[in-house]
Amino acid sequence: MFAVAATEDSPCQRRRTLTAVLLSARGVARRYGRVVALAPTSLEIHSGEAVALIGPNGAGKSTLLSILAGALEPSEGDLASAGSGNGRRIGWVPQRPAQYARLTPRENLDLFARLERVSDPVGTADRFISILELPDDGRLTTHLSAGNQQRLNLAIALIGQPEVLILDEPTASLDPRQRRRLWEVAAEVRERAGAVVFATQNLEEVERFASRVVVLLDGLLVFDGSLEEFSRSPEADVFA
Amino acid sequence: MTSISLLLRKDLRVLARSPALLAALVLYPVVFAALVGVVVRYASDQPRVAFVDLDHLPETLTVGGQRFNVPRVIGQVKGSVDLVQMSEAEANRQLSTGGVVAEIVVPSGFASKLRGMVQSPRLVLRTTQGGLSGRVEQQTQALVYELNRKLQTAYINANLRYVHLILEGGKGTFLGDEFDVLGLAGAARALDEIQRTSSDPAVVARAAELSNFVRQARLALGASDESLHATANPIELQIDNKAGRTWLLSAQLQAYALGLTLAFICVLLAAAALAAERDENVIGRLARGPVRLRDLVAVKVLLAVLVALALGLVIALVFGVLAEVFGVAGGEPWVRLPLLVVGLALAGAAFGAFGALVGALAKEARTAVLVAFLAALPLVLLGLVPEGAARAAWWAAHAFPFRHAVDFFQAALYDTDPWGAVAHQAAWLIGLGLAFGAAARLSVRRLLS
Repeated sequence: MFAVAATEDSPCQRRRTLTAVLLSARGVARRYGRVVALAPTSLEIHSGEAVALIGPNGAGKSTLLSILAGALEPSEGDLASAGSGNGRRIGWVPQRPAQYARLTPRENLDLFARLERVSDPVGTADRFISILELPDDGRLTTHLSAGNQQRLNLAIALIGQPEVLILDEPTASLDPRQRRRLWEVAAEVRERAGAVVFATQNLEEVERFASRVVVLLDGLLVFDGSLEEFSRSPEADVFA
Repeated sequence: MTSISLLLRKDLRVLARSPALLAALVLYPVVFAALVGVVVRYASDQPRVAFVDLDHLPETLTVGGQRFNVPRVIGQVKGSVDLVQMSEAEANRQLSTGGVVAEIVVPSGFASKLRGMVQSPRLVLRTTQGGLSGRVEQQTQALVYELNRKLQTAYINANLRYVHLILEGGKGTFLGDEFDVLGLAGAARALDEIQRTSSDPAVVARAAELSNFVRQARLALGASDESLHATANPIELQIDNKAGRTWLLSAQLQAYALGLTLAFICVLLAAAALAAERDENVIGRLARGPVRLRDLVAVKVLLAVLVALALGLVIALVFGVLAEVFGVAGGEPWVRLPLLVVGLALAGAAFGAFGALVGALAKEARTAVLVAFLAALPLVLLGLVPEGAARAAWWAAHAFPFRHAVDFFQAALYDTDPWGAVAHQAAWLIGLGLAFGAAARLSVRRLLS
């Protein structure tokens, strides 16, 4: 599946004018009783994109990301991922780490590598412990610092070599060095013709790493465009 | 390895790393078995009953010429109730405050009526409306039955003396008055003499008729001894005390210990383990690809099965060893272990499926544990209701695996021919397991919200 992406002059978008659609959400919505967490929303994620999802607290960012990751079923609409077999590989880094607290980081990595049917689970665990500098001293995950837990969260998401990496406010508990490392890893995903979708409250991160910006407000998608379009839009003033 | 075996291994590893939970799993069956024992002990304990003697019964009472040691007769009842002698006022006070569950009153004039053998004297039983009143009533009826049984011999002997007097004649007494009785033997002799000496054929013929009647009456009354005893005791109960299992090692206690332990641990464990997947925020990661939701439910059911097998075999081992050590008969603790294993697996699966349903509905592990406990407790109690006591409760108990698990264990461990009962209960456990499992599978989507 191919689509012509926006042809504005962002560096990312200039690189590709004809890009593969990796993920497509059509009219996805989520309701909790009468409360609408996310109004029907359509969104396509293209190869090579870095999509920043911004909006105030409670705008529906985490809900949309969870639906895109396949971790939350939409109340309506559907999600399509192009690709073979079970569809595109998606790595999900939720805001609250999703891992087993009473396993060590290595055991978590080994378990998820086997569940993702990675050919060499032990080697994969070794690799991510090394790349993300995770502690490997037998401590249980529950005893790790928030930053280490968040890096393990990222490592688990990367295990299946995802084509789309979905990050929900990933840098909140990371120090500057760890943040740099995270964005390097995210850039590697994009370099493999993948895409990164991330929610953030930090406009500096948006300016530095995003090629496209999506703004949510009270569960409604109110803006979807390039970084340059966003910088000229009234929504940018709201978040400035 | 499949995703089910990977997650099951993870759950067992997490379980092993929770010392408090592990200790609870080991101690739970022991404590529960002991508690059941206490309940059983209490159920068979002697209720405290006041004994009010308004007639001041003598040490020895003579009825129909037979002497009774009154304290000894009363003492025999003490085996079934704790009979405490006290004044009427004190007995009334204790009855109203619950100090005693009943009072047995011997009214004044009781002994004289008994000695007179004309009117039946009465014992008065006063009970409360409490749960033990029915049991005390039964015990008192047993006391009266026991007294009557002893007294009836005296009554029969006294009656037989009167019969003997009618047969043979002689001096008799009734209510203190003495009198002479000709007796049937004397009447026969007199009639024979009339027949020999009388010249009137009509008188001789009449005397011959009477003589014939007297002969028949003597024959009939001569057999009254055995028939009176037989009428008093149409059926006699012979009690042979036979060595058997004590309550501590009884099949019922073992089956209940297994059932109770599994009912709580498997339900709580499966509920908490499933809800914990959401608490750890992992269920979304699992459900979006690597693990199907039905597999996740299956993992928790299998976890319950493994724990049920481990705990059940430990309990069976303890009971079996105790049975061997004390040399008690009445079961085949080792031969039936394979059948018990089947029951443990089926019961564990049914309880686990119920727990998974609770976990899926409750969403959070702490809530799931609380809800699982609150749900399991009344359902287990329903399973303890006897069939005749409350029919609705007894039927409701069928919708929970506890009753079926207990019946399976009892049949598997101690029935001579267990196959019918085992197959019946196994079908119930499988059916309930499938129903709860299907409901859990439908409900587990709630954990993704």
